[in-house]
Amino acid sequence: MSAMNWIYVMDDAALLEGHMTPIYPLGVNIVLARVGGVVYAVSGKCVHMACPLFTGKLNGYTITCPCHDWRFDVRTGKFLDAPELSLAVYPTKSEAGRVFVNLN
Amino acid sequence: MNIESRKKALRYFFEKVVGPLGFKFTPDAALVEFLLEQEVILEGKHGIPFCPCQPLRHDRTRDMQIVCPCIPFHRKHFDILKRCWCGLFVHKDVLDPAKLPQLSPKEVGIE
Amino acid sequence: MKKTIVYTLSTCPWCRKTENFFTEHNIPFAYIDYDLADEATQKRISKEVDAAGATGFPFVKIGEEVIVGYQPERYSSALGI
Ligand code: SF4
Ligand code: FES
Repeated sequence: MSAMNWIYVMDDAALLEGHMTPIYPLGVNIVLARVGGVVYAVSGKCVHMACPLFTGKLNGYTITCPCHDWRFDVRTGKFLDAPELSLAVYPTKSEAGRVFVNLN
Repeated sequence: MNIESRKKALRYFFEKVVGPLGFKFTPDAALVEFLLEQEVILEGKHGIPFCPCQPLRHDRTRDMQIVCPCIPFHRKHFDILKRCWCGLFVHKDVLDPAKLPQLSPKEVGIE
Repeated sequence: MKKTIVYTLSTCPWCRKTENFFTEHNIPFAYIDYDLADEATQKRISKEVDAAGATGFPFVKIGEEVIVGYQPERYSSALGI
């Protein structure tokens, strides 16, 4: 993985604990969530019918889709009721107060 | 809303969900057309493509378990039947869906 | 003849087949489309469905016997036809 793949997406302070926010680096639909201080990044589109997950609920590590309540683990992207289905997960890092996401 | 184009959209979404779970659309094309059309009508009425063959209980937790494809929430049951309750989806190896009976969870030993 | 009642959904193809079965065999039956029924009727049927360990329709009662799903052989044997 080259350093080139890391894309700056937002300032670290802008995402509060227990909150989610949508980001679109290079047009990719991603939701960022901060849990236990760590920032996680998963695809922002629900695997069911593509509803925007950032408008759902974050409870611990679980994102619940606003449309039909499908639940996903923000760490692994896995759908809790069938692990064969999952959201794409993107690595993140925070450096000097800035959050980066790796799209590869 | 155009029913045919919405049916296409549902087909597109559902295919991606049921494939990894080991299911496919039933080879009974007429049944697929009929059920998808019912789902589009149900979606028009409720905003959600509910199951055409299972009753709404007016309880969100229960009702969200009969949004199509509901396979993740009834997996044990449907894996035994090799079909979903409506028969819209069947296991990938099923060639003759007419042979698959519609048995309740209780009848196949699931409580 | 045993009394036959069928609970159905207006959207469910297997419910149509079930009704056709009884019609074709000249079995008199009553039916209720659950989705078109009033709230009280839905609640009552919902309880019966749960009690029978069922999740979907059609829900058929032939005399005392409950048969869930489109099961023509079981309808026949319950009716003795
Ligand atoms: S039983 Fe089949 S058609 Fe009905 S909601 Fe479940 S997956 Fe969809
Ligand atoms: S679109 Fe997310 S649960 Fe249906």
